Amino acid sequence: MCFLFLAISFATAAPNTPPQAQTTDPLSRATDEFKIITRDEGMRADSATTTTHHGPKPAYHGRVYENFRNDILDAIPHEIKQNNQQNAVLHRNQFGFNLGGPLIIPHVLPNNNSTFFSISYEGVRESISRASLHTIPTMLERTGNFSKTVDQAGNVIPVYDPTTTSTNPNYNPALPLSLTNLQYNRDPFPGNIVPASRLSPLAQKQLGYYPAPNTDIGPFFQNNYFVNAPETDIADGVIANFDHSFGSKHRLTWNSTYSNGFLGSAKYFNNIADPAAPDQTYGTKRGELDYIYSASPETINTAAIFASSSTFQAGDGGAPFPLYTFDNYLAMGAAHPNSHRARNHYQLRDGLTTRKGKHSLTFGAQYDQFQVNTYWPAYPAGDYQFSYPITSLPGIADTGYSFASFMLGLAQYGNNTIVTAPSYFRESRLAFSFRDRYEWTKDLTVTLGATAYDMSPRTEKYNRQSVIIPSLIDPLSGTPGGLGFAGVNGVPAGLGPSVYTLDPSLGIAWNAFGSSATIVRASYSRFHTQLPLYNGQFGTQGFNARQALTTTNSQLQPALTLDAGFPALPFTLPSLDPSFSNGNIADYMNLTGAVPTYQSARFSVERDLPLSMVVTASLAYTGARNLFIGSAAANPNAVNPSYLTYGNQLYDLAFRETLQRFPQYPGVSLGSIYPQGRYQRDAAALRLEKRASFGLSFVLNYTYSRQWDDYSAPYGEQDFFNSRNNWSLSYYNPPQYLQLTCIFELPFGSNKPLFNYSGWRKPFIDGWSISSSAYWNGGTPLALHPEYNITGDVINSLNVNTVPGVNPTLGNPTATLWFNPNAFAQPNSFTIGNASPTSPTLLGPGVEDLDMSLIKRLPIGSEGAFEFSASAFNCLNHGNWNTPDTGIGPPTAPNINAGHIIGSYGGRVIQLGMKFSF
Amino acid sequence: MQFRPAPHLARGLALAALLFLATRPLAAAGAPPAPSVPPPLRVPVWIEADHPQDPPFAVHFEATVNGHPARIAATQGPASDIIVLVVLDVTGDISLVDPAKKALIDNINRLPANAWAGILNAQDGLHVLADPGPRRKPAIDAISGISTNGLPGLFETVDSALHIADAMMRTSPVRVAVLYVTDGNIYRYREDYTNPVINSSDPHDLSRKFPEALIIEKVSKLQTTLASLEAPLFVAHLHYRPDRLNEAYQNGLTTLANETAGEADFARSPTEIPDSINHMFSRILSGWTLTLNLPPKTRENLEVKITGHAGDTEARLSWRSRYVWKHK
Repeated sequence: MCFLFLAISFATAAPNTPPQAQTTDPLSRATDEFKIITRDEGMRADSATTTTHHGPKPAYHGRVYENFRNDILDAIPHEIKQNNQQNAVLHRNQFGFNLGGPLIIPHVLPNNNSTFFSISYEGVRESISRASLHTIPTMLERTGNFSKTVDQAGNVIPVYDPTTTSTNPNYNPALPLSLTNLQYNRDPFPGNIVPASRLSPLAQKQLGYYPAPNTDIGPFFQNNYFVNAPETDIADGVIANFDHSFGSKHRLTWNSTYSNGFLGSAKYFNNIADPAAPDQTYGTKRGELDYIYSASPETINTAAIFASSSTFQAGDGGAPFPLYTFDNYLAMGAAHPNSHRARNHYQLRDGLTTRKGKHSLTFGAQYDQFQVNTYWPAYPAGDYQFSYPITSLPGIADTGYSFASFMLGLAQYGNNTIVTAPSYFRESRLAFSFRDRYEWTKDLTVTLGATAYDMSPRTEKYNRQSVIIPSLIDPLSGTPGGLGFAGVNGVPAGLGPSVYTLDPSLGIAWNAFGSSATIVRASYSRFHTQLPLYNGQFGTQGFNARQALTTTNSQLQPALTLDAGFPALPFTLPSLDPSFSNGNIADYMNLTGAVPTYQSARFSVERDLPLSMVVTASLAYTGARNLFIGSAAANPNAVNPSYLTYGNQLYDLAFRETLQRFPQYPGVSLGSIYPQGRYQRDAAALRLEKRASFGLSFVLNYTYSRQWDDYSAPYGEQDFFNSRNNWSLSYYNPPQYLQLTCIFELPFGSNKPLFNYSGWRKPFIDGWSISSSAYWNGGTPLALHPEYNITGDVINSLNVNTVPGVNPTLGNPTATLWFNPNAFAQPNSFTIGNASPTSPTLLGPGVEDLDMSLIKRLPIGSEGAFEFSASAFNCLNHGNWNTPDTGIGPPTAPNINAGHIIGSYGGRVIQLGMKFSF
Repeated sequence: MQFRPAPHLARGLALAALLFLATRPLAAAGAPPAPSVPPPLRVPVWIEADHPQDPPFAVHFEATVNGHPARIAATQGPASDIIVLVVLDVTGDISLVDPAKKALIDNINRLPANAWAGILNAQDGLHVLADPGPRRKPAIDAISGISTNGLPGLFETVDSALHIADAMMRTSPVRVAVLYVTDGNIYRYREDYTNPVINSSDPHDLSRKFPEALIIEKVSKLQTTLASLEAPLFVAHLHYRPDRLNEAYQNGLTTLANETAGEADFARSPTEIPDSINHMFSRILSGWTLTLNLPPKTRENLEVKITGHAGDTEARLSWRSRYVWKHK
């Protein structure tokens, strides 16, 4: 192939010798030459008939490449080195090809430059280490011996025997709970050791799946299990594109993608109880057919049909292992051990663009159909959650231990999922849009637009949907909030209504003072989004079941015992009983049709500068309401925090339920589609762009932003009744952000200022370039949280208290102490914290990264080239600090790690690449 | 553009290519010098004055090539004949294309008698829409009738356009410039310059962290080709785009234009489009072309320096300073 292109390139360098000019006028002679060349090259309408050629020789272009990574090239990642490990296994090959050009089929498709194709293939074969540090039970704890088990301050945590619980006749409810005013008496296990006879047989059996600790990072016995396991990634994919022109007015294009992948997750331990996500297989198919019609030079219509399907399967379909969780220990078992889904999207759209005087008008119509077929049982073998209260001295902090509760087989919470069949969710959307770009004056352009949406609610192919209907009286409890079923008793198939919206947009571009050197832009837009179709069986209770067993009093009674397991379901599926979810976590939706509404406004000034530079300064505002949020941020069935005054009585489920809106449900699930979140972002940005000159170009971006919301706190929100109390800085948004991307063609070689060699040195000197990308952020807001939450199971996530007069920031924060933990305090029992979910002043450590790529290009002819690349990611091998420990304990058991940073992460990764293009 | 060789020549060239590949390392080790009498070199020069089309003084140019004085065999200035090859590469928003068409038509109507314009389009290869000529109407009709139904084609056609311009300059003592009027978006090219993700399930792909690599590669190839051509390239881009890949693409266009002593300009708002095209025509029409006789035994890499004097005053000039000389 390369010989052919060399031949062509030689011919290019020695074009046809023009015939003797027929005229003496220089312009006419040059024009004659123009006509001759363009005729010979098939560039004229009369080319094919006036020459012996039949159009230009078809030109095929493409490339073949391989990218190679191996751990022998990389630095040992910081997190691995800190655990005295010597390598992070990595073997990766990424290879592929691309070929494109005219599509010629003899006797069917001649070479008339009207049909073209492009096809790309890429394969990946990879094995990569995943390193992480965890805490698992010590060998002593696995025998029931908790004599060495300590809290964050190093004090032994006493473990109490729940069978010795008795009511304290001297308890005075008027006084706070304390060691001298206990509501319940309970005896500790002698020596803090659970007798062997009391240990759960099943717990002891399942412990056989736990590996032994393999490190002792600490403090105390924490961080004692380091994992460095390989993850497998195999993928093969193809992109194929075709386009065909019918004359100059009609064009058809076809774009398609096909990809298959396998992701074998890194195992935490190599047996059935591994808590890692199961192995996954992926498939993607996507195709789009566009028809573009130019009715006139001023009017174009584009019609398109689009379809995509992505499939996913996780797990091998074998019998799953139950999920056991014990507060901060590495769990056993995994959620969603076996699942599969298919997501399909079909789209029809048409867009008409026309020009009328100073108006450029665009009209659009689009119809989308979304489908999700999902089988996603979260806990088919049961989810057992073990916590400390059942082995604590009721109401007293820093007593009781979750793993001791496990050894006794006493679970605080249990969850069992029964999915009888996949769910087939459907949704559609119809949109009409209009835009007018109007040239108001020579220097001012105004753009007005509007989009109208008709968004359908979610339906299920077989009407297998249900939801709490607030107005429906539950016949069993006699309270509002019975379960309603799609298509039954007047409940619509989509449960909620269709949503109609009209969203405007406005923009101006003004060349200030009639100069192109300065451009002022301003824009405003509003838009709504539709209810997303998620995986899983949310909203299908009655057809599927979720047994959520909640303790009647977490301090006194387990929700279930490990050895007895889950009771039989009292219903036969499917069941259309309005009381089906009573006593369980029920699925709750907002049925008013509220959907997220976003508004954004932006103002910017662009100014040309000397040295081929352009600077842009901008201010931007984005705000949103009715954002879809989940159960960590909202709970329509929550107990109001004002009831915390009931104190220890709140641990009694029966009492607590009387304080709830829907007392028949201990809790509700929102499926992450409850429209109550708010968000606001204010940002100022500066962008400096250096256009290419002397081989150098770069773009520098700096953004200062403040972003708030009331739903994203990493530990959840405290007050579900007053979202203003949850309004705080978004923990994931770094206020300061700097990015620099740069391309530099090294200034030596042919046609360059330095080392302008010819001869044997030329191939070595020519064709070097460097690309780099640097990133820095100044850290993200820290989210502080108390170590203990003694609120009668009323508050899902407790904030800390701030200590008046104590500055939380340090002059010189270090990894040893990043912030002042004395500025915060654990709230007293049955009170909420007065701090916001994230600190308004404290930021975590910043993150920085510098990636560079060195490329050497070796031309072969005019179109061919070998290219060698060496890319270094995090090329300075910089270790970024982990987030400091933000847990705040009570004065009696302070978290000695509070404010400390344990370890860093990252390491230089090198990729070598080789490519031949033609 | 691939100049199609005659059949017997193609066979000969294929054989030559084989021999070239087989002997390339050897040849590279002892590359023979270029032929002792190279052909003349045409160098575009601009007087950087406020009103360059109408310099108030006569300029006397002097030139050196690789540090040695070179004789200026011919000087063509703004009053000399010129052909502008306008290549339309418009495939997008007609609200941008329409003002560009109007500006082009205005400029063609204003062309002096010594300036002709030819019109081509760049979709699916170069196609002639109107030959250069003294009559403006064919060019204006061609511009008015162009549709935006196509895919960007600048990358695939720019070397062909400059080859044509080069051949015209070698045939006749006229100045020739190539002006691309384009709204090209790198994502809309038929050829794959954006390296799109093929396997969305591959979570550790680092090869796309420098997504502009294919664009840089294409620009580099074109640079190699254009280094031996003499006609200047001008690019009036109607739609500046600030995303990373289009930045790389636009910088590539700037690089190509600069390499040929031309210029690239990017309109950041619709109102800038007429000014941008006016500026390009002004720059093209005001250009000079100096024909230099190269000294004997000139190396293949040429470093050109031009000075200009108007009486006692040194004129402020810009010119193309580097060429790779090839036997033509």
